[in-house]
Amino acid sequence: MPNKIALRAWTLLLLLTPFVQPVKSLGMKSTATVALPCESPQQLISPAGDQVALRCKDHSVRLVNVSSGATQHTFGTELRINQYNYSRDGRWFAVGLWDGTVEVVPTSGTAEPKRWQSDSRRIETLEFFPDSSGIVVGPLDRPGQIWDLRGSPKQVATLHSDFGGLGACAFSPDGKLLLTADGDTVVRFYDAATWKMLREYRGLTLETFAVAFTTDGKRAVIGGPDEHITVLDSATGAELQKLPKDADMVQQLFPFGSDGEAVILYTDGDGKRPPHQSIWNANTAKSVPLTAERPLTGGGIVKGKLWVCSPRGKVLDIWVYE
Amino acid sequence: MLEKCVALGAVTLATSASLSAIARAWDAAETKRKPTPFCELGPFYKRDAPHVSVLRAPGDPGMPLSVAGTVYSASGEILPNAKLEVWQTDHFGHYDNAGYHFRTGLQPDPKSNYGFESVLPGHYPDRVCQHVHYLVTAPGHKPLTTQLYFASDPVFEGDPDKNFSRDPLITSRELVRPVILKGDPQQMVAAVVFDIVLEKA
Repeated sequence: MPNKIALRAWTLLLLLTPFVQPVKSLGMKSTATVALPCESPQQLISPAGDQVALRCKDHSVRLVNVSSGATQHTFGTELRINQYNYSRDGRWFAVGLWDGTVEVVPTSGTAEPKRWQSDSRRIETLEFFPDSSGIVVGPLDRPGQIWDLRGSPKQVATLHSDFGGLGACAFSPDGKLLLTADGDTVVRFYDAATWKMLREYRGLTLETFAVAFTTDGKRAVIGGPDEHITVLDSATGAELQKLPKDADMVQQLFPFGSDGEAVILYTDGDGKRPPHQSIWNANTAKSVPLTAERPLTGGGIVKGKLWVCSPRGKVLDIWVYE
Repeated sequence: MLEKCVALGAVTLATSASLSAIARAWDAAETKRKPTPFCELGPFYKRDAPHVSVLRAPGDPGMPLSVAGTVYSASGEILPNAKLEVWQTDHFGHYDNAGYHFRTGLQPDPKSNYGFESVLPGHYPDRVCQHVHYLVTAPGHKPLTTQLYFASDPVFEGDPDKNFSRDPLITSRELVRPVILKGDPQQMVAAVVFDIVLEKA
């Protein structure tokens, strides 16, 4: 594997079978159908629920309005996009390129886009500050960078790493903590006001692919190729639990709801089996496969709820999981 | 394919055991050395690998591989205090994440030479070329993550000069090393020399 070339999260999902059956799974309620301007194997739904980012088969990325189907922004194939992400309020969208460039554009309106060279290596990780005033940038095998986006982009801090780069990161729900997982297998907590490292967890031997806080912010959840999902106490960094998981690797974690639920994207690590998703509960450690009659190829957390989607011919069907 | 590799020079059939020694002598004549190019760490680095020089177990399928080299600083000094961590897939392209098969931590000898015995790693769907991962550290030097590739890899079709960029992760042609076939026809070993040069911190 996988190098981390692949856009993580939902965007890693591959279409492996033709879609002929509608999704009829229990708990899935249709919420929208959007005309597709391109053949799209991967989608990311905006946290505002009003837009979807389509990774097109020609490797361009298009931002499409869910209501009107209008394409609001196109990032061309020539840009060689490696990573992208929405801000928490869905008002901004960032792309990271293979040449180390980062571009941040408004998802609507006329605010000025920002574009800068963050590094010479491709961008692996992008995470907006909760208030969208800055962004965490992870170039390949380099320590994470903190960029202030008020005015011209300005790097204000560099994160720690013994070696390797920033593999995944997440802000706590209150925005006070930044949780990072680095190539050196260390998980670190930072003060998101001063960028001072507060604590680190060195209890893993393999690199982590996904980190998240539970929606109450009290626990940090860590997953990857390890045999377990590790749960840490956010306040102390101490290990609370090692919980069972599916046999495949945790590629991404999306907490939602208020009772410890998260959706987990699993991949097999060598591309021999299709990715799959499970609804997992951090309180009970129980896991239920997120099944549908045709493969889910994208999604997002919209106002605390899990939205998922899948193309059907020239349209994209979107459902809310309830 | 093998014949094509030999014809194009990607694979050398050893006529004596001294080829690597000749290469080393040639290299030793230089003082300053170009740092080994970076190549990404990859996602399956695993800490605390055991210190073993034989990575393959009896009965492991795959072409036996013997890798040797010397660790230098860019100023030409040997670095016997370096530490190497090496990991790769098995013959089938599978990483052992549960254990430490085909993973090792190595310390060079007093002359800064290192070596290990393995098998040629397999291909797998997300990566184009066979490769071995390295993480090399030494006091006073920048950590190096890189990968070793093989000129005999079928992906190169016997011509790595022309085709090395078929794997977008190969940052430099220098990382594609010649393969020397040694031993008798019943017990051939693919031998590779891969010297490491670290930059000062």
